[in-house]
Amino acid sequence: MKRALTLLVVLGLVCSFAFAAGGAESASSAADSNTIKVGLICIGDENDQGYTYNFIRGRDEATEILAKEGINIEWLTIYNIGEDSSCIDANIEAAEEGCEIIINNSYGFEPFMLEVVDDYPEIEFISCTNCASVFDGRDNTHNAFANIFEGRYIAGVVAGMKLQQMVDEGTIKPEEAVIGYVGAFPFAEVVSGYTSYFLGARSVCPSVTMKVMYVSSWSDATAESDAALALIDQGCVLISQHSDNTTPATAAQSRGVFHTGYNNDMTGIAPEASLIGTRIDWGIYFSEAIRAYANGEEIPQDWCAGMADGAVVMTPLNEAIAAPGTAEKVAEVEAALADGSLQVFDTSTFTVGGEELTHAFALDTDGDFTPDSEEAVYDGAFHESVFQSAPYFTVRIDGITELN
Amino acid sequence: MKNDIRTPFVRLAKRNDIDPKKAWIIRVSSIIIALILGFIPILITGSNPFEAYSVIVQGSLLRPTYFRQTVKIAIPLLACALAIAPCFKMRFWNIGAEGQITIGAMCASYFALYWVGKVPHVVLLLIMFLAALAGGAVWGLIPAFFKAKWNTNETLFTLMMNYIAIGIVAWLQGGPWEGRQGSQLIPQFKDAARLPDVFGVHIGWIFSLILVVLMYFYMNKTKQGYEVAVIGDSVNTARYAGMNVGYIIMRTMAISGAISGFVGFMIVSGANYTLYSGVADGVGFTSISVAWLSQLNPFAMIVISMLLAVLDKGSTTLQSRMSIPASISDIITGILLFAMLSCEFFINYRLIFRGRAEGKEDGK
Repeated sequence: MKRALTLLVVLGLVCSFAFAAGGAESASSAADSNTIKVGLICIGDENDQGYTYNFIRGRDEATEILAKEGINIEWLTIYNIGEDSSCIDANIEAAEEGCEIIINNSYGFEPFMLEVVDDYPEIEFISCTNCASVFDGRDNTHNAFANIFEGRYIAGVVAGMKLQQMVDEGTIKPEEAVIGYVGAFPFAEVVSGYTSYFLGARSVCPSVTMKVMYVSSWSDATAESDAALALIDQGCVLISQHSDNTTPATAAQSRGVFHTGYNNDMTGIAPEASLIGTRIDWGIYFSEAIRAYANGEEIPQDWCAGMADGAVVMTPLNEAIAAPGTAEKVAEVEAALADGSLQVFDTSTFTVGGEELTHAFALDTDGDFTPDSEEAVYDGAFHESVFQSAPYFTVRIDGITELN
Repeated sequence: MKNDIRTPFVRLAKRNDIDPKKAWIIRVSSIIIALILGFIPILITGSNPFEAYSVIVQGSLLRPTYFRQTVKIAIPLLACALAIAPCFKMRFWNIGAEGQITIGAMCASYFALYWVGKVPHVVLLLIMFLAALAGGAVWGLIPAFFKAKWNTNETLFTLMMNYIAIGIVAWLQGGPWEGRQGSQLIPQFKDAARLPDVFGVHIGWIFSLILVVLMYFYMNKTKQGYEVAVIGDSVNTARYAGMNVGYIIMRTMAISGAISGFVGFMIVSGANYTLYSGVADGVGFTSISVAWLSQLNPFAMIVISMLLAVLDKGSTTLQSRMSIPASISDIITGILLFAMLSCEFFINYRLIFRGRAEGKEDGK
């Protein structure tokens, strides 16, 4: 008993010593005035080798770009936050730890981020890929996206050339040129993405059709693989994806079909299947926004840039398996997109229910989640990401079948 | 001498009545030992454990904002531990609080989404509150009914009910209640459907503290509480005493489910302001530990739920300041729970070592 008491006293002393150290804050706000502390809240971590990894790359790239200009960034990166109230906590955490800019990397973070922004009016909050800042009447909220549909269109061209090559060589019949697309959700960003991809493919392979299967998750490696395999079983000879993992690429390789990727170069993982990928280069935006902040300028309310600005890039073409002449064709399409002579959603290239698209609204202003203002169709094309950075193309065009 | 060989090195003996002071010393030292064992994972990550613990305290208690967040984490843990306490007292293994929370949250959310603006603020909150109670109670009653009627296994039954509840909400999230198409997000509640803050934390903390007192009286001072305790000790005794065991099981589970439903209401209306399938976020399971560690004592639950909340909140600051993964604090929490639960073993049994035991065995 006595010994137990002695032990207890000793342990108690050790503990109080440990906690006494907590009397003084060991934090942590950026002391150096040339250093800007920026929070980056991520839905995953770099291990996804896709979506979040792409943001981490953007983070490191922006750090490098700005270091040359004498602007130092101290990053506070918070990983594996869900699209739920943990996102509120993460934003509070970043704000309390002294971040001057807080970047949220996932679409679903925005509503939770908005719960916090009013408590910290001096902090700039950025929600990537979402769209509320234009309407929310606040100065410290921002959105950003890039014209990823341009990159997807080019990836579609690469895929279409491969399919056309297979048709020309007699490997498949023209009607067997079927693309399988693993999508996350029937969501505007996804619909816009697969439609642009399909239009790119059809511009070089007229007989192509596409099947879309949704996996009901932005990131579920197993479900993405299963969906890819199911699509291949249904006769798809080329797989593309709008989901975060590399498993569709490996699934395609295991069945001997081709693939194009998103967010990351997947040719290393599936060298016999993956032709090319496209991704947003977030370093461009991050450096622009942080530079603006450092210079005392406004961060753009809703930032959007495209391929011509370097915000959307193609990953290296897998020359070993791509159809001959692909690189030249890609360069040609890139130039045409840059000078505006080519519109991705040219209304003469697709039909909706057999008819040409003549009308579609871009924005939802009254909060009922159906677009009600700003005509997006004019000058012979649907203008994507013009009225807001986040995609708003939700039209289902002929030639694409949604399987679920 | 031959005797000595047969005596095992360590023997266990049941302690009948341990000095309560000694019991508390064992409990407190188990916490301290657990915290010291927690040095190991921190050292493995290459950090200073003293600094890490101090960051946990700083990040959870020492700044008003952080303290409020810690309380916000503790509220559902506390209230849910109170919810399951009577079931466990009755030896009815209700591990379905997770689902009862989810259903309560769902019922409250329906009114938050579709009745907002139609009725005044307080009335709306009242309706949400009652809806959550009713939803949780029904979800708790279903397994209790089957248990009472056909003696089904309540552990499996309540567990399965969790997945059904979560599945229903997941369907609503991507279906009828979805906001922007394909976004999988139910819109945030309007202000009229949100619980007001008191001292910066939603008013649920006051209700939870009131509930502590109520539950203490219910379990210790009422006839119903006594019935629950008797069934927990021996179902046959209860039958012999003329108690309607099936009815009491159903009644207790309805109360437990209703309180869990109330927890769901507090979470959606006070903390998250929206509904999603993971709304219960493990609270229904963590609170089982809270209830057990507190020996089903409502007042002790306040301390235990705060302790777990401190570790939970502190871990995020640990991650942001020292780049220690939040999972390290999960490990420390695990060690803590393990130590605290196993210390009950030493309170109930004592070890008798070979050789020096003989004299002491019976002497006090």
